[in-house]
Amino acid sequence: MFESAQDAIEVLSVFTASGMEPLRFRWRGSVFRVVKLTGRWQRREGSALMHHFAVECQNGESFELCFDPRSSRWSLNRAWRNPEEGRA
Amino acid sequence: MILLVDMDAFFASVEQAHHPGLRGQPVIVCGDPERRGVVTAASYEARPFGVHAGMPLAQARRLCPQARYVEGNPEKYVSVSLALLDLYSGWTPLVEPFSVDEAFLGLAGTRHDDMEGARRVAGEIQRAIAARFSLPASIGAGPSKLVAKMAAALAKPGGIAVLDVEGFRTTFWPRPVRELWGVGEQTEKRLEALGIRTLGQLANAPAGVLADAFGVLGPQLRDAARGEDSTPLVPYWKGVDAKSMGHEVTLPEDEAEPRKLEGLMLRLCDQVARRMRQEGYVGRVVAVKLRDSRFRTRIRQRVLERHCDDPDVFYGVAMELFSRLWDGGPVRLLGVTAQQLSRAPGPRQAWVFSWQERSLRLRESVDQLRDRFGEASVVRAGALASRRRLKHVPFGAVRTARP
Repeated sequence: MFESAQDAIEVLSVFTASGMEPLRFRWRGSVFRVVKLTGRWQRREGSALMHHFAVECQNGESFELCFDPRSSRWSLNRAWRNPEEGRA
Repeated sequence: MILLVDMDAFFASVEQAHHPGLRGQPVIVCGDPERRGVVTAASYEARPFGVHAGMPLAQARRLCPQARYVEGNPEKYVSVSLALLDLYSGWTPLVEPFSVDEAFLGLAGTRHDDMEGARRVAGEIQRAIAARFSLPASIGAGPSKLVAKMAAALAKPGGIAVLDVEGFRTTFWPRPVRELWGVGEQTEKRLEALGIRTLGQLANAPAGVLADAFGVLGPQLRDAARGEDSTPLVPYWKGVDAKSMGHEVTLPEDEAEPRKLEGLMLRLCDQVARRMRQEGYVGRVVAVKLRDSRFRTRIRQRVLERHCDDPDVFYGVAMELFSRLWDGGPVRLLGVTAQQLSRAPGPRQAWVFSWQERSLRLRESVDQLRDRFGEASVVRAGALASRRRLKHVPFGAVRTARP
């Protein structure tokens, strides 16, 4: 199910030809390894350009992360956990 | 040849692409799933249950309780839409966005400007969209925007349909007039009253009969039914001025408290005026939309003395219209729209009255603060009356960055 959050997270990221990409992150004491970047988009907040990423991690879990260039901090905004639960 | 790329169940497909756990499941994109609202988009897995965009969420839950209800993210969808336009420009510079999930592509001047070339390009674009965005698209192609648009409807979901005018006539003439792009329920009824039920009958109807019944629209309907359309494709880099801008919100619960409704009206007027100032427009008409708890929708509008982008002027007029529309009963939805937009004049005029000057300076200062710190950095106190219940409604204009 989806869980909304505004949690600060620690992220290990890499800069590639297509821009910054998160590789793994720590959230609520657990480390999640990104297996696929499933989406990226940007949003203006005042004069800042916020960088959003949708990532798929091990076990099929997926998350939406945001990098705020003003503070160089990452946050986790949405989580899709336990994907097998309740599947048709 | 012209292509219409139509993204299939766009918002729901974006969520399925970003969250693999949603793939293959009925997905319903909406506002806050915990609150009342309407379905914004339904995935193809949800549609067999009868769920469609615009349906009240409570009804969707009854029809498809097992669906995944996902809160939509308009900024995300607009950003993906802009990235898609960039992708299309790899084939042709003639790209006209038609809506957030549709775009016309002109192949004139390219080596693909025939039916075979159009089919080839459509396939390439479909594969590129799937590879880069993991999204499904239907593509229609034809010699005009009309034929391309109607061919795309044949191709849904996930297909490609290429028609010339002959193919258009063979395919559509036996079909009901409702399938003609632009014909709604009312036009369909009026055509039926003339004994015209199929597109073929419309295409061959006497011009005089249609002109008598529909005025200038009559011959246009007949041309369209014949697959004839000369509407030009306007590339997005040439820009098309907006005709109106508005915001509306479905309340989480029916509301009859005047102070809260006034606060919401203030917020909506502020949003509309802010967006107009950001995009350089002034408006001449203010319209208010009200839907009550019995789903009765009423709209009233008023022409302003002059074009403007002043939220205070909008609010004054909107409240006057609201007072005429509102019978004191529970309100389900409120909306404010500015219409008859024009480009804002460059240098501001000298104001006769000092209060006008002060008001303008205040707006400019608020705009500067919001530009720098975000839309919620400065808000009107009156708009806070319903803040807790309307946390799903953003303050000010929503801005999305181009990729």
